Amino acid sequence: MASETDYEKLGFMCGLEIHQRLATQHKLFCSCDAQLQNDISVAEIQRRQRAVAGELGRIDLSAAFETQRGRKFVYNVFRNTTCLVDADEEPPHELNGEALHTALQIVASFGAWAPAELEPMRKEVVDGSDPSAFQRTLLVGHGGNLETGGRSIGITSIFLEEESSGIEYSDGSTVIYNVDRLGIPLVEIDTEPEIRSPAEAKEVARRIGLALRLTGRVQRGIGSIRQDVNVSIRGGARVEIKGFQDLETMDKVIESEVQRQLALIDIKKELQSRNARVHPPIDVTSVLGDTKVKIVRKSLEDPDGAVMASRLKGYAGLLGKEINPGRRLGSEISGYARLAGVGGIIHSDEDLGAYGFAEEELEGLRRMLGVQEGDAFMMVAGEKRVCENALAFANIRAQQAALEIPNETRGVDPKLLVTTFLRPLPGGARMYPETDVRPIPLDAEEYERAKKAAVDVEKTMRKLGREIKNRQLEEQMLWSPQLGLFLEVVDKTGADGGTVASVLLEKTTQARRLGIDVDAITDGAMLHIFEEYSRKRITKAAIEEIIRQVPLDAKGVDKIIRSRKLERISGKNLEKLVREEGKGEGKAEIMRNIMSRHRLNVDGDELNKLVK
Amino acid sequence: MYSQELEALLNKKGITPGDTVRVVSKGKTFEGILLPRPEFGDQGALVLKLRNGYNIGLSIGRGAKVEKLARGKEEFAFPRVELSRRQGLPDITLISTGGTIESKVDYVTGGVHMVVEPEEMLAQVPEILDIANIKVINPMRKASEDMMYTDWQVMARAAAKALSDSHGVMITEGTDIMHYTSAALSFMLSGLSGPVVITGAQRSVDRGSSDAFVNLVCSAHLAAKANIAEVGICMHASSSDTFCNFTRGTKVRKMHTTRRDAFRPVNSKPIARVDVEGNIEYLEGSRRRTEEGASTRAAVGYEPKVALLKFYPNSDPEIIDYYIGKRYRGIIIEATGMGHVAVAPSDERYSWIGHMKRAVDAGMVVGITSQTLYGRVNPNVYRNLRLAAGTGAIYCEDMLPEVALVKLGWLLGNHKRAEAAKMLNKNIAGEITERTEVEWE
Repeated sequence: MASETDYEKLGFMCGLEIHQRLATQHKLFCSCDAQLQNDISVAEIQRRQRAVAGELGRIDLSAAFETQRGRKFVYNVFRNTTCLVDADEEPPHELNGEALHTALQIVASFGAWAPAELEPMRKEVVDGSDPSAFQRTLLVGHGGNLETGGRSIGITSIFLEEESSGIEYSDGSTVIYNVDRLGIPLVEIDTEPEIRSPAEAKEVARRIGLALRLTGRVQRGIGSIRQDVNVSIRGGARVEIKGFQDLETMDKVIESEVQRQLALIDIKKELQSRNARVHPPIDVTSVLGDTKVKIVRKSLEDPDGAVMASRLKGYAGLLGKEINPGRRLGSEISGYARLAGVGGIIHSDEDLGAYGFAEEELEGLRRMLGVQEGDAFMMVAGEKRVCENALAFANIRAQQAALEIPNETRGVDPKLLVTTFLRPLPGGARMYPETDVRPIPLDAEEYERAKKAAVDVEKTMRKLGREIKNRQLEEQMLWSPQLGLFLEVVDKTGADGGTVASVLLEKTTQARRLGIDVDAITDGAMLHIFEEYSRKRITKAAIEEIIRQVPLDAKGVDKIIRSRKLERISGKNLEKLVREEGKGEGKAEIMRNIMSRHRLNVDGDELNKLVK
Repeated sequence: MYSQELEALLNKKGITPGDTVRVVSKGKTFEGILLPRPEFGDQGALVLKLRNGYNIGLSIGRGAKVEKLARGKEEFAFPRVELSRRQGLPDITLISTGGTIESKVDYVTGGVHMVVEPEEMLAQVPEILDIANIKVINPMRKASEDMMYTDWQVMARAAAKALSDSHGVMITEGTDIMHYTSAALSFMLSGLSGPVVITGAQRSVDRGSSDAFVNLVCSAHLAAKANIAEVGICMHASSSDTFCNFTRGTKVRKMHTTRRDAFRPVNSKPIARVDVEGNIEYLEGSRRRTEEGASTRAAVGYEPKVALLKFYPNSDPEIIDYYIGKRYRGIIIEATGMGHVAVAPSDERYSWIGHMKRAVDAGMVVGITSQTLYGRVNPNVYRNLRLAAGTGAIYCEDMLPEVALVKLGWLLGNHKRAEAAKMLNKNIAGEITERTEVEWE
């Protein structure tokens, strides 16, 4: 792996956008359940959207692509998680106070500053993922910071916004969205582009995730937190990488992206030196009328089917040039063509014989396109209208290869750990006021309350170190849903943290594996168990026995202690026990004798001190 | 408007909304475009549009600094279409009157423009120019709730004139009272040579999800080629952007505050269903276009001294005496069920019978409709109905209350009292149907 200084030489710039769903009861601007329920949709709504008048007439490539695709959007609606607000059939209700409170807690946790008045905004969305064609969002925090590894990374902004719809299906003409997820409160945290290496990006993402987790008010599970990474190098482009499956591979993916941009810079220079140029697409169906190439033949069965191709002057050998393991410039261009609904492109750096093209067909193609030595060509097959769009998009990308590295939104290939093209990066987000909701004044007291509830990752880590004294358990507890309960138990009962952590993390897991429903044990019951342990009414071994009986409250704990005779034998009673039953040769055997019969009632340490 | 102190500060520095400013507040520095103060919120908070597009409200307390960095650019102009005539396309006239369909947000300042030019509205649906040659007239621009009968008179005259050289007429209007307008035009216009299609939007046209696009396109198709010569409303048939219903102007009502498909046919079917491709399916018999000899007439007389009264438990009938005193000429009562009002309540002061009779005796036309909206009123089934009918009140069949109100105003504006009373429960413009089918969609 390259060092930070290597990345500095490359002009590496990197910032994160962390999106975290909040665990509120309701959605951000309506009273739908904010917890996904995995139920079946009850109806569907079909809509079409269009990019509305552009701000200052600037053409946004991303919006233009989407409009040209002219896709139909279908929204699946759900009984408990979709209402008229989500379906864009009713104005938003008031901002969810619970979500705002949590957002402010997060703002305070990063030492950021909350504005005097929150201004609800609409951010235009062109991919149909919101039936209203915009996402509601508010700037809630500004200018904070995050301490990690002795460095301070700036937090530019914190937003409170609506989650988008989940995608169910998509092809060239239709996208189906599930509108259950839409509108769940989401906090977005943006860092400054101050991250110096892929490894540091991973660490910052981890730290932010941890801070969010510590608030105890965020959703957990797959998809509840998403990390987008903005990366660029000198001479490269700003690329937004979305869709990291897990943090573990984040650094590897960023490294691949840097490699990709470096490779594309080399290709660009080579294309420029060759004076490369992309020619407009032409219809080459006549040349391939009787082809044996399966995918082409299938397209031509459609009466509207066609094959279209473009001459790429000076591109020979570069379309097939590897830019990442298993990825070529041709793969990048294919990604653009796919936006129009074709499967991809076929290009002349591939083994065309393997597709089944006859030599005379290829000769005919070259002649028709005017391909010469040093040139390449690419083609798409399908419905004529789709082919025209596909090749128009592919041509844009091919031409860009000679001019610049395009700014893009890219996804992650979880196997190859490389990034893949998703869509052009939207230009500056188009924002305008959400006039259906009034501005929300923030009173100073509200923010002060949030400050009191602020979390401090460093402090929590130090406390866990002091209490648990076991690196592995500390790390496990830090990320565990039991963290809140753990802190409550050690603060209230004074029980030793090592034992509490071991019970909450390890003993419960063992019991769960035996099929015991330990998750039914209430926090109150757990607290009472450790109270009794702390005041020496029971032993550590008895705790395990009690949790396997699944007490539902403090009374239940007492009942189990009494009925199963789990009271600790100590002091004079233990001395008496040793006198009566402590037979055997030597200390070890005496202890073994007693413990084998009174394991749950006798504390080993105490017995050890007593037996001489 | 900002607070007086803030306005004074901005004046002193020569700063106006639209300018780029730097604000230092509580030790933090912000740069952005100064926005006009939104109608609601803290007048002492300065609203900036930051470079990332977000707006932010900053409190300008002691020690805060505001400084002008650059003057605002010229106001953003919305794109607009150039209307030119193309051979082979039918001619239609668009009468634009205002409403949500012509509202928009200004992206630069974030201010809401309640109105845009019709040519700007059409720029959002450029495909409409491939459907017909559109002549635009713009006699007014107002929210529909501000409309009065005089506006209907203007619209009726304009529509009659437009039909003399257009294949059909489209009217864009705010949706709130659209069904009153459609009723008024249904009565005012007669001998129509083509369709008068009223449309609007439940979502403003600046939103990518606006229903205006589909409503405008479908309405243009109807106005350009439907074989219909009636007044009706063309709006979404469902929540989906698939097709619109064209419903007779006297049998349609806004039945939802916000949904796209708020306009529902009542006691009737839609006349036609139309999709964005221009496919028209005729569902209900209607008056057909006549190629020759049709000349649309507008009889725009209207008597504004008519009232719509809702009967409800404990409602005090003395309100009728108020209208008698104010020399009103007609009252439509929105009664319960088949047309009931209180006739023998435990406190007899609340009986409506005497007051209704007094109104009829004073020369007013009194009509009875039902607040159930669906179904027909009947003067005979119960004794109480017969008592109410005995006052001389006229039972208005399956006519909607609002339609009856507009009809009565129109009748009294164009006819003598006795004639108006006779015509109130006779069908003129499809407002009364003689038979109701067992089921309809």
